[in-house]
Amino acid sequence: MKRKDIAVMARSPVISVALRILHRFTVLLVVGIFIIPAVWLLSISFKPPTEWQVFPPNLIPRSPTLDNYIVLFKPEAPKGTAAAMLRVTEPVTKSFLNSIIVVPAATAISVTVGFLAAYAVARFRIGGAFMPFFVLTTRMFPPVAFAVPLLVYYRWLRLIDTPIGLILIYAGFTLAFSLWMTKGFIEGVPRHIEEAAILDGASPWRVLFTITLPIVKGGLAATMLFVFILNWTEFLYALIFTSTKTITVPVQLSHYVGAVGRFYGPQAALGVIASIPVVILGYMIQRYLVTGFTFGLIRR
Amino acid sequence: MGTRGGALKAPSSQKLRGEEIMRKLVMIFKGFPQFLSHEKVFKNLLVLPMQLLLNFLLMPPFAIVIYLAFVNWQPIFGGWTEAPFVGVSNFIRLFSEARFYEALGRTLVIAIVAVALEFLLGLGLAVLFSRPFLGRRICTSVILYPMMLPWVVVGFTFYLLFLDHGPVNYVLSSLFGPAGMISWFRNPVPAITAIIIGDIWQWTPFMFLIFYSALGALPKDPKEAAMTLGANAWQIFRYITFPMIKPVAYVGLVIRALECFKIFDLVYIMTGGGPGVSTETLSLYIYRVAFKYGQLSYAAAVAIIVLLGIALVTRIAVRPLLKEAA
Repeated sequence: MKRKDIAVMARSPVISVALRILHRFTVLLVVGIFIIPAVWLLSISFKPPTEWQVFPPNLIPRSPTLDNYIVLFKPEAPKGTAAAMLRVTEPVTKSFLNSIIVVPAATAISVTVGFLAAYAVARFRIGGAFMPFFVLTTRMFPPVAFAVPLLVYYRWLRLIDTPIGLILIYAGFTLAFSLWMTKGFIEGVPRHIEEAAILDGASPWRVLFTITLPIVKGGLAATMLFVFILNWTEFLYALIFTSTKTITVPVQLSHYVGAVGRFYGPQAALGVIASIPVVILGYMIQRYLVTGFTFGLIRR
Repeated sequence: MGTRGGALKAPSSQKLRGEEIMRKLVMIFKGFPQFLSHEKVFKNLLVLPMQLLLNFLLMPPFAIVIYLAFVNWQPIFGGWTEAPFVGVSNFIRLFSEARFYEALGRTLVIAIVAVALEFLLGLGLAVLFSRPFLGRRICTSVILYPMMLPWVVVGFTFYLLFLDHGPVNYVLSSLFGPAGMISWFRNPVPAITAIIIGDIWQWTPFMFLIFYSALGALPKDPKEAAMTLGANAWQIFRYITFPMIKPVAYVGLVIRALECFKIFDLVYIMTGGGPGVSTETLSLYIYRVAFKYGQLSYAAAVAIIVLLGIALVTRIAVRPLLKEAA
């Protein structure tokens, strides 16, 4: 109590109030800066083509329209100029379907494989310090450097532009996150619980699946959502290893930038649609984001 | 007689052998769960799927990249197994190519500037948010969303913001008159600035989150003691708070720096490396050489050098982290 009194008395009330106002104002400014880009994207996605590039730019669309969203799924629909321009490209339903097949499959494989290996690493120190480090390095290298030989390899295996090919790449290159995140969760389970079960005569498999797994279920779910976000937003491998049949949502978005001109409205609409699921998932695992992005090196 | 006896005996011995095999099979079958539960078998079976997946994805490409780097092959030449051996000429070309050094330098500049600013901004924000105020939870959540967005969407959004007739130029022109407007994507330095700003917007939340959680977990006593002794806010931060969050800061810096070095999506969407090659980063350079020009052999040489470089840097930078994690 006394210490606090001294600390408070050190400042005069006027300065203290002024500081508080300054503090709130800065917070508001910062939050505003963080919101603006997304608001602008939303705004463009509701604007008709005539307003995409007007100067001075208007934040609120003068004649808001849903055309940009509609043409994404029905390019053949005669819905004004945007639709007519977009007729040259394919509807996004296919890329969404591809993403919805590839991303969950790769996520499931990545987390399952990562969890099993993490258990061996956490409980038996298998592979010493080298193995987890080796897995970590797969994430440090620029993916494009891996992609060069992988392309030759995949051409030989005829895996280019196939869902299986992309699923394997996504599963493999998010394994570092799965392994390190789940390793952290497994290490959080007290060993004596497992040891008690083993003394009772349970096999290690039984211990793993009926004792450890239920305890780390929440952590596994968080890992899954995190890896899902990574896979959903991945762009480079999808760009290189798919061409027509298995393009994913981010690649589709980049296609609109291409040769036929820029369709800001539909592109923004697609950006909004592509972002909504991952932003929602992100909030669901907000508590685990630090753990995820730092491979579990920092735990909250 | 002998043959008859033998003929009579044979079936019974065969029958015996058959029974023996059956018994052994049953034993193996019954012992199988025990075999699987043997500690050595158990732990190796657990890592087997990972080893299969990583070996499938990494080992053949590893051999291929080394092979490619020492031959001269482009897809238009035909089969890659018939390419002529050219020794180290791909590496010689690499070390004499100005475009490679420029891309490397540019990537380093982007990584250093972006990560340094993200670090400072993230730390500043975390300090700003470390004192309670109304709506802090919501504001924290709002600040975090850029991190979750697809990079492609971030690139596209910032492309829209920095268009010639976009909002950024509007703000600039209303502040400084028409002279304040910049053709962001037609000049190298503004284009790179726009890319860096996009990266900062997306990844400052990461640094913020790291520092915010670290600051929240700090004990209050040392701070209060220093206050009683008459230390000012800066001294408390410099000598008490910062040393305590330094390990966390190091992890954040290393991971962001390595991530930022790979920068591709933002550049690909915002400038495509242009104008000319003036915003080309290392990743984009490899991408263009390999997949646009089809010079896979040369790209393989670049890839090997980049992989070696990163492996070395990672090894040095991550070592203290691993010691802590182990």
